[in-house]
Parts: sequence; structure tokens; C-alpha cells
Amino acid sequence: MSFSSSLFWNWQPSLALHIPDGFLSLPISLITWVIAIALIIVSLKQVEAKYQERTVPIMGVCAAFIFAAQMINFPIPGGTSGHLLGGTLAGILLGPWAAALVVSVVFIVQAVIFQDGGITVLGANIVNMGLIGTFGGYYIYRAIRSTIGRDSWRGMAIATAVSAWASVFIASILTALQLALSGTVPLNVAISAMAFWHLLIGIGEALITLAVVSFIWRTRPDLLYGSANNRKVSDSRPLIQR
Amino acid sequence: MLLLHLGAFHLDIDSKQATFWHSLAPRTRLLCALLMVFAIALTPNGRWWTWAIYGLGVLGVVFFSRVTKKVLLKRIAVEFAFIGTVLLGTLFRDGGEVLWSWGILRITTEGLTVLGSVTIKALLSLLTLNILTLTTSVPALLNALTALRVPPLLVATLASMYRYIGVLIKEFQAMRKAAASRNLARNNVWQRFVIGNMMGTLFIRTFERGERVYQAMLARGYQGVPVVEKVPSGGRRDVFVLTFTIILALLGQSIYLPY
Repeated sequence: MSFSSSLFWNWQPSLALHIPDGFLSLPISLITWVIAIALIIVSLKQVEAKYQERTVPIMGVCAAFIFAAQMINFPIPGGTSGHLLGGTLAGILLGPWAAALVVSVVFIVQAVIFQDGGITVLGANIVNMGLIGTFGGYYIYRAIRSTIGRDSWRGMAIATAVSAWASVFIASILTALQLALSGTVPLNVAISAMAFWHLLIGIGEALITLAVVSFIWRTRPDLLYGSANNRKVSDSRPLIQR
Repeated sequence: MLLLHLGAFHLDIDSKQATFWHSLAPRTRLLCALLMVFAIALTPNGRWWTWAIYGLGVLGVVFFSRVTKKVLLKRIAVEFAFIGTVLLGTLFRDGGEVLWSWGILRITTEGLTVLGSVTIKALLSLLTLNILTLTTSVPALLNALTALRVPPLLVATLASMYRYIGVLIKEFQAMRKAAASRNLARNNVWQRFVIGNMMGTLFIRTFERGERVYQAMLARGYQGVPVVEKVPSGGRRDVFVLTFTIILALLGQSIYLPY
């Protein structure tokens, strides 16, 4: 049934949050480019400090994972289907810096190689999803999780769902603001259309992020960013003291 | 995006030709394309003559690079279809004369100007970038990025990602087949649950794959610094083309200078 490939695979770009070329004015493009370049440089430094020589292989495959995950279609309540944007998922799994790098890499490849999202607006796309989606999502998630209870699944679940929804919603509002400030779409039209659609898209994002995180929570909780086992390689000690 | 078939996507169908455009170093081609796209997309709305000049330039490259027009048009049609819905939002706005109105919907001259401008900008940008990716292979593009002083670590990450997209898509399709053959598509809630589990599994496998890839790289003498290949920096032709592109970009802008 719905596992048929036409429905299951989503070949279309995530329409609304990937701004195409020509939609943003010079000042907005410039400002967002500057922020995006700074973000990429700092996150490269941070990631290199943590992963060292493993930066290239680990970040490469994780970016490929987010790219692949974005193309998977899943049913959302209301009869339509949606797909993951993945910013918050990346933040929860990899931490904000690595996630920002991974999502930026995904955007660069999408823009340069697949013409999904424009080049001149790449900075804006990276700021909206790579910065707001990952950092915003991650810190909302951490705040909620530590309030409700760090080690309970309830806290984890609520934090994941709320942050995933919020990151998509905030990113869409920011996109609408950028479009309006550039004089492309009138402010009221942009905000209302974007907010309405992303209320729904955000629900899909929350559900699927929750499903993925719950699987990892049950099977490999050590892979979640910030879990106690994450920092060191192994807790085991040799039996024979040397 | 429709061209992304099962890991074996073949984007650069015209990269093996021997035309003047192909004889340029990938770096020059990338620079020219970027320059044109920035000039096209960042021109303020309503400057029709600027885009007319740029359009001539872009069409010139279409002609000289002898790209397969059918594929080019098909790709642009697909990509443009997605822009279409966003474009509609630009039409209905206040300002200028009201040409047509129906309830709260009003088409004004300013709305038409914005719609026309954004359409032209998006179309010309897509045309330019599609010519670039049709004629330049991905490794060449990545080399060009290195030559343009993009941090080697970032370029290496991009390259590593590009390599593994196909692998991960194949892996997910295998899981999908396994799920389908076990009848795991009862209803929407269940389906979401299964897809979530598949994606979770994919992440775990991906992370472990990353470790294995790292081990394999170490075994081949990787030392944390990506190998930077020597790329041809280009000769007199490249300088000429680049200068020409800059002049074209400035010429287009200069038309509206007196106003």
C-alpha cells in the first residue's frame, strides 16, 4: 500500500524552507552569508577539536544520513505526507556544533550539486535551518529535558517532540521575515502562509523525530549526544593490573 | 532531484565534450557561474535590461558549451515547478495601480513587477547553475572549491558525504524491502513507527560505518589532513573568460546607474 515507492520516496525538495535564488535582496543575502560563514568556520573548529582525525569520515556519513533521511516520505496526521528537515534530530544525536556543520554541509551539497535551494541564498538557508534548527532546537530540547527529568523517557520524549516542532516553526517564521524584508512577499501573506503550513509540517517533524529518538533510546542510548557513556570510549578495565 | 536515482546519479552528462567552455579549468567555470548567479539574483526588482544582458550571456554559454538542451530544459522544468507555488505569493500585494481585483485578492502593477523580476532571476540562476553541473563533474567541482580557498576539511567532508549518499539510500531501500516483505504497513501510526525505527537503525549503522571508514582511511595512511590535489589553475583563456564575465556583470549593472 503506502509503501509503494512513489509515496515512500520523496524526491521533491523541502519546498518552503529552501529559498531559491532571486528571492532575497542584497542586504539580507549578505548579512545571512556572513552569519553562515562564521557559523561554518566556528563549528568546523569545534568539531575538529572533538572528533580530531575522525572529523571527515564521521561528519561525512552523518551528513549523508541527514540527506537520505530528508528524502524519506512518511504519513502525517491529516492524510498528507511529509518529510524530515532533520535539524533538531541532528542536534539531539550529534550535539549542536556537529549538527550545525552537518546540516550546513547538506545544504551546500543540495544547492551546488542538486540546485535545491539557491546559491546566493545559501547563507539564509543555512542560518534558518543550520543555526535555528540545530542550535535553537537543541537548546529548547535540553532546557525541557532538564526541567522534566533528564533520565526519564517522559522528559526525553516531550523535549524531543516540542523542540522538533518549535525549530521548524521558528525557522519558517524567520524565512517568512527574510522574504518580507527583501520585498519579495508581503509580510502578512508570508507570515500567515508559512506559519500555517509549518504548524502542520512541524507536527510531522515532531512525530518522526520522536520515533527515531525513541528507537535509539531503546537500542543504543550511548549514541545520543551528552549521554554519560558518550564521552569515554569504554568503562571496562583490564582484569590484570599492570 | 528527480534525477537522483538509486545511488547511481549521473549529473554531469555533458562533461566529456570538448568545447571552449569545457577547456576552461573547473575553477574558472565555477567562478564565472557564481559571479553570474550573484549578479543575476541580487539585482533589485524591475531592472529588465540588466537581465536581458545577463540572459544573452547565459544563452551564449548554453550555445557554446553544447549541453544537451532536452535534459537542461527537463531539469529546469522540474526545479521550477517547486518554485512556482512560492512565486504566487509575490503577486498579491498593495502598491501601484490595481489591475484586477476579486474580493481581497488584488493584482497590482507592483505585484506583477515583483513576480516578473523574481521569475526571471530564479530562471536565469537555475539555467546558469544547471549548465555548470551538466558540464562539470562533482570531483572537479570539489577540486574547484579547494582551489578557491574553501577550508580543505570542509571540502573533504563534502566529498565524503557525496560518496555515501548512494550507499545509505541503498541501505534504506533494503530495509524498506525487508519491512514490506514482512507486511509492516498496516496503518499510518504503525507505518510512522516502522519508518522511525528504520531511520534510527540507519543512523546507528551510519555512525558505525563512519568508524569503519575512519579505520579504513587510517589503514591507507590518513593523518587527519585531507590530501589536496593539484588542480590546473588555468591559462590565458581562463583569465580572458573571467574578465569577460566581470565586464558583463558590471555592464548589466551600469545601465541603471544614472537613475
